[in-house]
Amino acid sequence: MLEIKSLTLDIGSERILRDINLKVAAGEVLALCGESGAGKTSLGLTVMGLMAGQVQGEVIFQGRNLLPLAEEEWRRLRGREMAMVLQNTDDALNPVLSVGAQLLEAVLAHGLFDRAAAVLRVEELLAQVGLPEHKCNSYPHQLSGGERARVLLAMALANDPALLILDEPTAAVDTITKAELLSLIKAISPGRAVLLITHDLAAAAVAARIAVMYGGTLVEVGTTPAVLSDPRHPYTRGLLRSFPNMTTVKDLQGIGGEGGRAPGCPFHPRCTQRLALCGHKIPALQLREDRWLACHRGGIVPLLQMRNLGKAFDGQWAVAGVDLTLQEGESLAVVGETGSGKTTLARMIMNLLPPDCGQVERDASLADGAVQMVFQHPRASVSHRFSALEIVREPLDIKGILADRDEIARAMIAEVHLPVDAAFLARYPHQLSGGELQRLVLARALVLEPKVLVADEPTSALDASTQAKILRLIMALQEKRGLALLLITHDLALARKVCDRAAVMLQGRIVEEGPAQSVFTQPSHPYTKAMVQHAPQLTGVLPSPLPGAAGTASGGCPFWPRCPESLVVCREVNPPLVADGQLRIACHLVSGQGSLAG
Amino acid sequence: MRGTDSLEQTLIPGVTKLVLGWAARGRLWDYLIAFAIILGLNFFLPRCMPGDPFLAIYGEEAVLHLSPQVQAELMAQYGLNEPWLTQLWYYLRNLCHGQLGYSYYYTTPVSHVLLGALPWTLLLAGGSLLLSFLIGTVLGIESAWRRGQTLDRGLLTGVMLTGSLPDYFLGAVLLLLVAGGLGLFPLSGAVTAYTNWHGPRLWADVLHHLVLPLVAVTVAHVGGFYLMSRNAMLRNLHRPFILTARSKGLTETAVRYRHAGRNALLPVVTEAGVAAARLMTGVLFVETVFAYPGVGSVIYQALQARDYPLLQGAFLVVTVTVLILNYALEVLYGRLDARVRDHAH
Repeated sequence: MLEIKSLTLDIGSERILRDINLKVAAGEVLALCGESGAGKTSLGLTVMGLMAGQVQGEVIFQGRNLLPLAEEEWRRLRGREMAMVLQNTDDALNPVLSVGAQLLEAVLAHGLFDRAAAVLRVEELLAQVGLPEHKCNSYPHQLSGGERARVLLAMALANDPALLILDEPTAAVDTITKAELLSLIKAISPGRAVLLITHDLAAAAVAARIAVMYGGTLVEVGTTPAVLSDPRHPYTRGLLRSFPNMTTVKDLQGIGGEGGRAPGCPFHPRCTQRLALCGHKIPALQLREDRWLACHRGGIVPLLQMRNLGKAFDGQWAVAGVDLTLQEGESLAVVGETGSGKTTLARMIMNLLPPDCGQVERDASLADGAVQMVFQHPRASVSHRFSALEIVREPLDIKGILADRDEIARAMIAEVHLPVDAAFLARYPHQLSGGELQRLVLARALVLEPKVLVADEPTSALDASTQAKILRLIMALQEKRGLALLLITHDLALARKVCDRAAVMLQGRIVEEGPAQSVFTQPSHPYTKAMVQHAPQLTGVLPSPLPGAAGTASGGCPFWPRCPESLVVCREVNPPLVADGQLRIACHLVSGQGSLAG
Repeated sequence: MRGTDSLEQTLIPGVTKLVLGWAARGRLWDYLIAFAIILGLNFFLPRCMPGDPFLAIYGEEAVLHLSPQVQAELMAQYGLNEPWLTQLWYYLRNLCHGQLGYSYYYTTPVSHVLLGALPWTLLLAGGSLLLSFLIGTVLGIESAWRRGQTLDRGLLTGVMLTGSLPDYFLGAVLLLLVAGGLGLFPLSGAVTAYTNWHGPRLWADVLHHLVLPLVAVTVAHVGGFYLMSRNAMLRNLHRPFILTARSKGLTETAVRYRHAGRNALLPVVTEAGVAAARLMTGVLFVETVFAYPGVGSVIYQALQARDYPLLQGAFLVVTVTVLILNYALEVLYGRLDARVRDHAH
């Protein structure tokens, strides 16, 4: 229906759109997302031939390139074959003409209706968008924002266009009106190509596909479920993290730096995984697996990849064949009860324990010291002969960073909310409280500005208020520098607020892994469900106890004695980890093998 | 007595303008208040003068020209020896009967003189208001649409030129070249004297006399409307509803006039109200140049003859006319823009 090829738009010497390639099929809703100034509206207006500026490339609509058309030919297409709903500002409708007059004008503009038929058509349009007939006589200022949005939509539908461009149709309306407008948009989309321009990801979620724009270029294009649950471009991820919604559970994060246009990849000044190349070469939009990405690094980089990682002690597998990936700038929680192998996993990642099988692949970009660890027991992880300052300064000493090392260490100590007076800095570990020591250990891990932080219960000894501050610090570093966090914890409530993804470990194996919202709000594995039920609540209601005791399974699924839903097969066969979209689950109940065997 | 006329000439128009500006924002009630204030000024100002009230109201010349008998009659009619409150009562009562005083210069009641002159002024001022409004607005809209192009630049320059020329100068030039030189139009008056034409013949004659003063006043006032509508238009061209109109596939003319122009009209209508006030007194010079028998000519005569009652009556008529015009324009404004209508209630 609509195909945009290598579209470039310049206004004066400024490049507004750069090499846009996009297709919208009939009956498809494509959402065009991005922050304001990304060029979304300019793209819409260019397709409508309403943008003043130098345009290159092709806009192919119904088989012909529109760009060479004369204004009069454009005019005959506009409002008839292709219609646009402009952003619903106060002035989008003419303030001195009644709604009816403006609708009638749209219906009559192309001579498809005579006057009598046009009046009927206006009534029909009002009904279609859910407005009572008497609104005809109203003036725009007498309408609510939602009603104005409906009028604009009705006007665009006047001549039943094949292409509909909607620019922020849900801006400035309340949530209930927004939902009504979105269902209306869905209802009118069959048979039409709909380009839905929005910065509202919840509105974009109704589209079949999402195209993300930044600085006048497309950075990611893919199917809506894929883009929203597994963003591959750092910008898309940042957008999702800063968008308040009822689906994701992680605390809000922004995108570091300020928006704007830059040479090379337009996002590179704000990107935490940029290379020197990104500053001068524009990445092309390329198909990578299930989506189109414009990123020199091929999207968000996997920093650590654990493949079939295993470790046995005395012939018992403490970690048995774990496959996990930690991405740049993401937080991954590894949750599980005591003895599930979380700490062993962390030690293998840090090369403190040689694995008995499998390996940990580190991304080539990770320098020496770029992966740091915070150990579970801070008192055991510092030398009792070092003062507080020396504990934090030690990594700098080892790396041979001698200039300003005291200042750097002091600044870091201040960042973890510890005092920096001489008396405190001179204290030895036995003079410090557990909480102070835990923060010192964290400062030591962060002082080299690592890209990856492996943290084993890093805040277990802290008061909740200090814990909150420390985790906010880590999240701020993630926003600013793209710090990746592997958080090992048994505290699901904590992991839920901090992490993008979560992996649940049970007796050395991962039994459920996926986006934090799925794992924590819609757990699939009975073990995860039990953990979520047992996570801290403020209701005072205690969950019912599990049927059996831990560690009593001699075969099959390790959880079956405690599983309220266990089947016969669960006692015999340990279920494999099976991928289901963004999720991986090891459970007979979920994989369907249970029903076959049972 | 020198102080009297200068005070009256500067104070009355100044206060009137202030009152008008304030009232234009309000509704009918405000207009009535403005009217009351104008009446009050007209009544109190001359009576505030020290000395003989008759002398203050009628001026030295009148005292010299009027017979003691007439003077006594007027004193009695207006109760000039009575207390102020009674005088006010007399004043209002006389006003209700259309009696504005006695013009010693024309030796008839002031109302007669003004009633004879007002239609001509309304014809000239009203006609040129309408014409300059229409021409100025259309030119402004077209000019803004072609911003920076030849037509726009040419019009801007042209308007700067004609706008800077006073209407009486234009009138004099037209009189000299077109009426005097070419003999195409009559030199003076509003109708040909000593005829008893009626019907179309009379109308044609009136028009024939009207053309030159009308052209002079119109040309001088087109500039204001042109600049106003051009500016308003330029502001409107970038408003989102213009894009909405274009995205509907409307023709360029429809976008230009129905959408941009219609919205640009609003400040121009406001300007028309201001221009109306200016025109009513501004035509004075042109009327004088063409010896056109309007209120302007009357004021001119009254000034020369120091005919104070006539002057006051003329001021009252002019201000009331302007008030009525402004009110009419405000009603029109409400019809043009539903927002104004809604906010007034």
